[in-house]
Order: sequence, then structure tokens, then C-alpha cells
Amino acid sequence: MLARRLLFTVGKGGVGRTTVTLALALEAARRGKRVLVVELEGARGLERALSGLATASDPPRELERISHLAVDGQAALEEYLGMVVPVRRLLRTIFDSAIYQYFVAAAPGLKELMAVGKIWFEADRSQSGAEDAADIVLVDGPATGHSLQYLRMPQAAFEAFPVGLVHREAERVLGLLRDPSATAVVVVSTAEEMPANETLEIFSGLGEVGLGVGALVVNQVHRAPCDPALLERLEGSLVGGDEDDVVFCEAVRRAREEAGWAAINDHHFARLAASTDVATAKLPYLFCEEFGAEQVIELSAVLESEFGGESA
Amino acid sequence: MNGEPARLADVVERHRIIVCAGSGGVGKTTTAASLALWGALWGRRAIVLTIDPARRLADSLGVGPIGNTPCAVDGAALRRLGGDANGTLTAMMLDQKGSWDELVARHAPSEEVRQNILDNNFYRQLSQSFAGSQEYMAVEQLGELDACGDYDLIVVDTPPTQHALDFLEAPDRLLAFLDRNIVRWFVRPGFTAGWSTLQTMNKTVGFLLRKVEDATGVVALAQVSDFFQSMGELFDGFEARVERVTALLRAPETAFVLVAGPDEQVLGQADYLASQMGARSMPLKGVVMNRMHALAPGAEADPRAVDALARDIELRVARLLTTPGDPAPASVAGDLAANLAAWKARARGDALRTEIFRGGLPEAVPLVQVPDLTGDIHDLGGLASLHDFLFRAAD
Repeated sequence: MLARRLLFTVGKGGVGRTTVTLALALEAARRGKRVLVVELEGARGLERALSGLATASDPPRELERISHLAVDGQAALEEYLGMVVPVRRLLRTIFDSAIYQYFVAAAPGLKELMAVGKIWFEADRSQSGAEDAADIVLVDGPATGHSLQYLRMPQAAFEAFPVGLVHREAERVLGLLRDPSATAVVVVSTAEEMPANETLEIFSGLGEVGLGVGALVVNQVHRAPCDPALLERLEGSLVGGDEDDVVFCEAVRRAREEAGWAAINDHHFARLAASTDVATAKLPYLFCEEFGAEQVIELSAVLESEFGGESA
Repeated sequence: MNGEPARLADVVERHRIIVCAGSGGVGKTTTAASLALWGALWGRRAIVLTIDPARRLADSLGVGPIGNTPCAVDGAALRRLGGDANGTLTAMMLDQKGSWDELVARHAPSEEVRQNILDNNFYRQLSQSFAGSQEYMAVEQLGELDACGDYDLIVVDTPPTQHALDFLEAPDRLLAFLDRNIVRWFVRPGFTAGWSTLQTMNKTVGFLLRKVEDATGVVALAQVSDFFQSMGELFDGFEARVERVTALLRAPETAFVLVAGPDEQVLGQADYLASQMGARSMPLKGVVMNRMHALAPGAEADPRAVDALARDIELRVARLLTTPGDPAPASVAGDLAANLAAWKARARGDALRTEIFRGGLPEAVPLVQVPDLTGDIHDLGGLASLHDFLFRAAD
């Protein structure tokens, strides 16, 4: 999967897209690739997480190979207009015009299209062999519905313009997006009811856009600490004298709770796995006081072993 | 103020409208439903306006997949939970697309205008994807529920967005969208004729719009103009309406309750949201911290290391499971001890992050903690079980 030039991470809010993107970036960098991570629309989670890694007590050496870019649709549009309208003064007039502001705010899909165009530009440079170009671009997408909006835009533009510059540009972007050897969408989910439902919707949504799923990462998977049936017997036999041993009772209850989550996760993981035949990785739920560099590195190693069978 | 820390119960008691805000995946829907249920059990006529409930929760609240119809929860079920005889609970699911169509239907002066708008491509795109569209419809629906007078407690679950702020901004954004000057500009006679008219009118703008349309290819200008011509008559009432709901969000009878969880990222967004609420005169009145990992105090204070704990647990396990020929696997004590230690670490982190977050809140804002309960809450009993945590005395 990391042999691709462009990876989009999508998923419902709160499932850990940013963490997975970062873990993938670390893994790609470990394999010697120059990585560009991209986030959209003023999101700063990835940037924060990266600086968290950089200031960790033992920062991973892979960071040297990872750079970060924030892509903003409006800025990308202005950049684009800057290329087609070379007169500065005229540009200012345009950008300041209320009509322009209005259009940018209201025209559905405009910002998304420009953002995808900008990402395409970055991913395309990797082939041009430019010295500072990245080998792989990893995009931390926004929450689901919006991600699909981004990925749908080039097709819309392509259809709206039968000929001309935009048609050709859209065609090139589409060519990259639809080339399974160059682009993959990594769907991140947790194995709970709502996120799993949304993930199933993503699968069908991506199909409509003509994009395939490259991989499924199921995050925050709980594991039963020991045999659930045994736990049940233990809990059932907690009587009288044991009640005063708060710690023991708590140990049994917490284990039961974990086993409960594990059962829920198993159920929804099975639903997800049954709906797709793409490579699927399971990331464990990590109990820790603070989720930081160490945890991201740990998850990145898990990804490596889960997807390890694939040729790099 | 009597110096007592405020309780979430007071917040719900003293307000008619509760807006549950927060980023996606933190349990807003469940929290909103639980707050409304609490009101109903205390004799109020409560309604929860929900966005995207989990299937089983929707089923147990009696709301189907078709939105925008208020569905009353069986009164007998409320009585079984010990509710006040006067209380009622209604649930309603927001259907974004349906709401826009309904709005158009309500305000269109004629069937023809209505059909024109509904068939317009620009309208279709707009109602599906206008930034903040779903958020605005939630606000709009709130206005409707408020005006109908059937409810004395309205709990609103806000849409799951990347930027939770969208909900607060939606009315203003729509007002900007409906800016009269700009709309008039689009509705000029002859505009539908196309670009040529535009260019004679204003060269710069014409040039610009052509470039913009070139770049997007999504919106045909003539469609936009058509849309505004059809919508023209609707707008007059509309602006007043948006202003009314905006005022409602800022009214003293409305309380914003922030729903969050003890994760770094979630709290970062919650922090931002809380500060932005204040800046918009929609002050934060309470915080619900979901998915807290917490241990019984005795277990939390226990000083034993994992090994020592495992040895003690082993003795107990051996004593409890004495069935001959069925010994517990030797590892079980170690597993239990390790799991407890993992929980403890997580609980420490959750408590610390929550404390820091609380430190940034005004003192009068209550913060309640709800533990990470196994599984989905999917029935009235489950919603009621949250009340122990939401409404217990402030700690």
C-alpha cells in the first residue's frame, strides 16, 4: 500500500484518522520514503501531533523525512487564479469583491475541487523527480461526508466541461485518483455500531465516485483480558467476604468491561470484514495515561506487521 | 448566587432550550436524549431533536428513518421509570433535505414557484452541500418547535461536524448568503441571458465569474439566477426568521451544554468551542464528560505493584473457582492484574486532562463525568441509567 503516491485517510469523526495517518507516515518514512502529510480546511490535529512527536524525549528519526502541508481550498483557488490572472492589481480587486467572497462561500464544491487540485499537484511532482518532492503524499481527510465531497469533485468538473483547460486538468487529477497503483483510500473505523455503519456507507460512497478502498484500518480494538466465561463465573461467585476487597472486585469488573467491549468490537469487526475484501488491519486500544509519541510509534509498528505481507 | 457549585440539574431545570454541542463521536445524541428523558420524568413536556441516532436508540425512541415527524414515546414506559404523570417525551429526527423542501413548501407563494425551486439544480446542490446547511436546518427546526408551544423543554442534538462551531455560525452564514444586495444583483432582469449581459455591466466581475465558473464547472450561472428569482419572494420573511432563531439561541432561556470526552484532541476542540460560545453571546452552561475511565476509589489508591496484585488475585481466584478438575488457567490472575493496571493508568490520564479542562472553565459551569459504559445505550432504561452520573450532586 505504501508503494502508492497518494493515500487518502477517511473515516467518521473520533475514530482516530489523524493517528492512523501519522502511523502510516512513520512507517513510510521508516522504509526510506520522503513523506508529505496534508491536512485540510484549517485542521491542525496532524500538525500538533507531529510537533508532539518532535518534542518527545526520544523523537523518532523518521521525522526528518516527513513534512507537513495545510491545504486550504480558498487559498488554493487564489493560487490558481494567480496563475491564470497574472495582473496583481486585478487579482486584489477580484479577491476583495463581495461577489467573489460570496461565490467562494456558496458555490458547492469549489473549495473542495481546488484543494484536491493542490494535493494532486503535490502528488504529481513526485513523478517529475523534483529534488524536494515527496515520494508519497498522505492526506488526513476531514470527517466522512466531507471527504466524499472532496473526492467527488474532479468527476463533477470533468463532466461539466466537455472540452478545454478545466476538462484536461480534471482528467489528469482523475487519472491519478482512479489509478489503483498510484492512489488508495484508507478507511479508518472503530468496531462500534455507529462508526461501522458510517464505514459501510463510505464503502458504497467511494464506489459511486469510482474509487476503490485500498485498506481498512480498524482502530481502538479491545481485547478480552482472559476467558469471558471464566470472568462471568468469577463475578458470579463474588460474595460476602470478597465485597470488602475493593481491589479484587474492581479487577474482575474492569476485566468484564474489557471483555464486553471486546465482544462488541468482534461483532462489528466481523460486519466490516464481511463487507470488504481489502487488506484489513486491527489496531489495539491502547491503555495509557497520555496518548503520545510512544503510542503512535507502537501503532505504526502494528500497521507494519499487519500490512507486512504486502510488498513495500 | 449562593456560592454552591452549580449542578447540571439546575441548568436543565432553569432553561427551556438545551443545545448539546461538541465534536463528532463523543456521545452527543445519547446525552441529549438522556437530558430530555430527565425533563419528562420530572413532569415536563420534553422533546429531543436528534440528528443521527444509532438504530436501536432510534427504534426505542420510536423515531423512524423518515425524519421531521415528532414521535411521542409511550407514556406507560415513562411511568415505569417512575416518571411524573404529567411528563411527556417526544423524539424527532432531523432530515436535512426534507427540511429545506419543507421550508420552501411553507413559504412558496404558489405551487408553481415551489416546483420551480425544487427542480432547480442549484437548489439541489445547495440544500445538500451548502456549508452549514444541516446545522442551519437544526436551528430552523428549533425555531419551529419553540413557536408551536407544545413543549417546555427542547433538547437539541447538533450535527456531527468537523468544526462543531458550524452550528453556532450557521444562522449568520445563511444571513450573509441571503445578503439583499447580492441577491438583488443576481435577480437583475436579463441576467439569465448569460455572460454577455454581465460583461457589459461589469467587466471585472464578469471576467472573474467566468474564471470561477471555469474553475468549478459545478454551478451554471443561469441556474443561480433562476434560483434567486424563484426564491426572491421567499426571502423577505426569511431574514426576519433567521434573526428570530438567532435571538432564540442567545436568549436567557437557552443553555448550551458541551459534550466532550477525555481525549487530548476532543478537549482541544472543546476548549476552542467553549471560548467561541462566549464570544458569540451563547454562553456555556454545563459540560458533560463522557467515556471517562474511573476506578472505585479504593482500587485507585491501592499501592500494590502488578506482580504483588497478581499474587493476591491468584489466591482469591483459586478459592472462588474450586471446582475439582477445572482449574483456572494460571495466567488469569496476571491478566486481571495487568488489565487493572492499564485501566488505572488511563483513569489517571483522564482525570488529569479533565481537571486541566475544568480549570479553564468559569467556576459557575458544572462539569459532570459519565463513565465509559460497555456497549451502546439503546433503550429508555439505559438513558435513565445515565441520570445517576449526569445529575448527582456536584463533586
